[in-house]
Amino acid sequence: MRFRSFLIVLALVSLYPLGVFAAGVAGVTDTEVVVGVTTPLSGPAALWGVTGQGMKAWADYVNDQGGVNGRKIKVVLKDDAYNPTRALANLQEMKGEAFAVCGLLGTAILNASKDFFQENKIPLITAYGDVRIWAALPREKLEYVFIAYPDYEDEAEYLTTYGMKKLDSKKLALFYQNDDYGKMALSGIKKALEAMPGKAELVSAVPYEVTERALGTHALKLKESGADTLLVYTTPTHGALILKEIAKLAYKPKVLTTFTLGDPIMYKVAGEVWEGTYIALPGNSGVPGSEANSDRVADILKKYDPKIAGKEYLALFGAVSMMHFVEGLKHAGKELTPASLIKGMEKIKDWKPEGIGAPVTYAPDRRHGVNASRMSRATDGKHVPLEEFTIFKPRF
Amino acid sequence: MDLIESYREELQLIRKPWTRAWVGAVVSALILLPFYAPQHLTYIATIICIYAVGVQGQNILIGYTGQISFGQAGFLAIGAYTFGHLIRVGIPWPLALLGAGITAGLFGLIVGFPSLRLKGPYLAIATMGFGIAVYQIFANSELLSGGRMGLAIPKISPIFGISKITFNYYFNFAIALLFTLASYNIISSYMGRAFIAIRDNDIAAEVVGVNLTRYKLLSFAISSFYTGVQGGLYSLLIGHLEPNMFTFMETITLFVAVIIGGLASVEGSIMGAAFVILVPQLLSSYRELVPVIFGVTILIILIFEPMGLSGRWMKTRLYLRNWPFR
Repeated sequence: MRFRSFLIVLALVSLYPLGVFAAGVAGVTDTEVVVGVTTPLSGPAALWGVTGQGMKAWADYVNDQGGVNGRKIKVVLKDDAYNPTRALANLQEMKGEAFAVCGLLGTAILNASKDFFQENKIPLITAYGDVRIWAALPREKLEYVFIAYPDYEDEAEYLTTYGMKKLDSKKLALFYQNDDYGKMALSGIKKALEAMPGKAELVSAVPYEVTERALGTHALKLKESGADTLLVYTTPTHGALILKEIAKLAYKPKVLTTFTLGDPIMYKVAGEVWEGTYIALPGNSGVPGSEANSDRVADILKKYDPKIAGKEYLALFGAVSMMHFVEGLKHAGKELTPASLIKGMEKIKDWKPEGIGAPVTYAPDRRHGVNASRMSRATDGKHVPLEEFTIFKPRF
Repeated sequence: MDLIESYREELQLIRKPWTRAWVGAVVSALILLPFYAPQHLTYIATIICIYAVGVQGQNILIGYTGQISFGQAGFLAIGAYTFGHLIRVGIPWPLALLGAGITAGLFGLIVGFPSLRLKGPYLAIATMGFGIAVYQIFANSELLSGGRMGLAIPKISPIFGISKITFNYYFNFAIALLFTLASYNIISSYMGRAFIAIRDNDIAAEVVGVNLTRYKLLSFAISSFYTGVQGGLYSLLIGHLEPNMFTFMETITLFVAVIIGGLASVEGSIMGAAFVILVPQLLSSYRELVPVIFGVTILIILIFEPMGLSGRWMKTRLYLRNWPFR
């Protein structure tokens, strides 16, 4: 009798894992779908963690509208302090708990985790960092990856061409962060100059280190170069510092900057010298304060998370990522599996999330959903778009 | 705490049968960890093993020899990049790992020279300068750092059909165990005694025949060797390197691990490594409060237990041994 009981218990125990797997897909029940977000909520890049808050707020809004296909979205938000080791640990922890991961942030983190999604069959819906990481991967490793982020080099090429065509720039100077990000800008500028020979020249390229704060010498070098147009590829802090320094020298070139300085909060950081700056806006998001759709979404986000007030630009960036996930869920239908989500994402075609940004298209042979920029100008405390989006070729 | 009656007994790693039992139980539990723990805990345990190697090295320098150093991130970067470049040109991983340790050790020797003249805060500043200089050199050299896409490190394929996570755990656990045994041996040897003598009073140590130049430099070289190996293991686990992974924050993390774990304690080094990895990970859902809670926890530990976690552990063991008497 005892032996028989033992056998029954053994059979039940051995069946237990089968039961667990048979129950369904990780992070999905009939009423809920779990999405994991690992983002810097502390450490040097903590401000960018607002993207995570934006995702959460938008998910809460969608839930209040009834969710997607009868399922509410549960966001598991974890801090990685911008550290790849901790981000990987968070991703490991999300395995079996989260159905998909949304809005991964930081080039080092993307590089460290680029194989994770394919290996574990977890969809990654949008990531913020150098898109060349994904472009360098073989197609079969991109099955679970969906990216909507501009390419730094394409954007620099666009800025330079805009300067030459619309602002009559003849002598260009670049002030850039001495790392991969800055160097990609340099290569984009060179490509644009080669495409329009004789139109303009790069007279100076002045790098700075991210630890530097005294930029007086850099400003002098830029002034001495005699450039009529200055391209700025920096952090928001360094962008503000260099503009203040060149203003002190009464040097007034046309200033064109990258989308990382696209937050109108730059008016607070840089002050009045920000007025008149040309800023490339990214195709994957919008700019609150100048667009009705962005303002509408920003108001919703602030309603669900009042702490977002004052950080609408980054929150919107995150919320748009959640919109991509929601759109994929809608197309995936009621039977939710990683494969059905991938199919659902691949059905997204010429879609603008809440009317924001440039049209997004994913396909079986396309994982770079949107690669676009458009010029705006800092005017009276706002970043006012000057033209429609220029769409670049998707990189992968 | 113990009455040691012979030199042979002194050299024994574990003296009491009860200690043997619980150490055996802990090691067995760690060996079986992938079988009962969720995968993410196994992954976190892997990171702790990697950090335990580096923290032990720093404890030999800071805790046992009394030489303060803030250049750890530099040695870590040198080890990681040496390993990365060697393995990319086809050198087998054991040799690449050895190369990472030796290169970092040689730089440790060079950085150790100021320690012959400098003490306390002055030595701290000199070593900190080294750490920052290494970061700047890697940040500015595409040849060394791998350029704008960083340096991709090929990973070792798991053997015996086990999963990647389990393989990485056993691989790093075995190396951490090896380095832990090496640490105990170093501390018990003449060399270890010389380190301790230098820490307690360097002039007195020289009077009794300790060659200060040799042993101070040796301490720097050994600790840097450990940190270099940690860098190699780290690069192998992450599979990607870029200079921003080796900022001054990494130095602070290793330093905090040494202090929190307990100065001059091998077990403390392991506990310190576990602390700096586990606490932020466990708190990761508390968002922006993480650094605050982390900082306050460190303060509380240092106020109530200046000898760190190993001090608390020693007191707990003493209490249990004498129980019910106090």
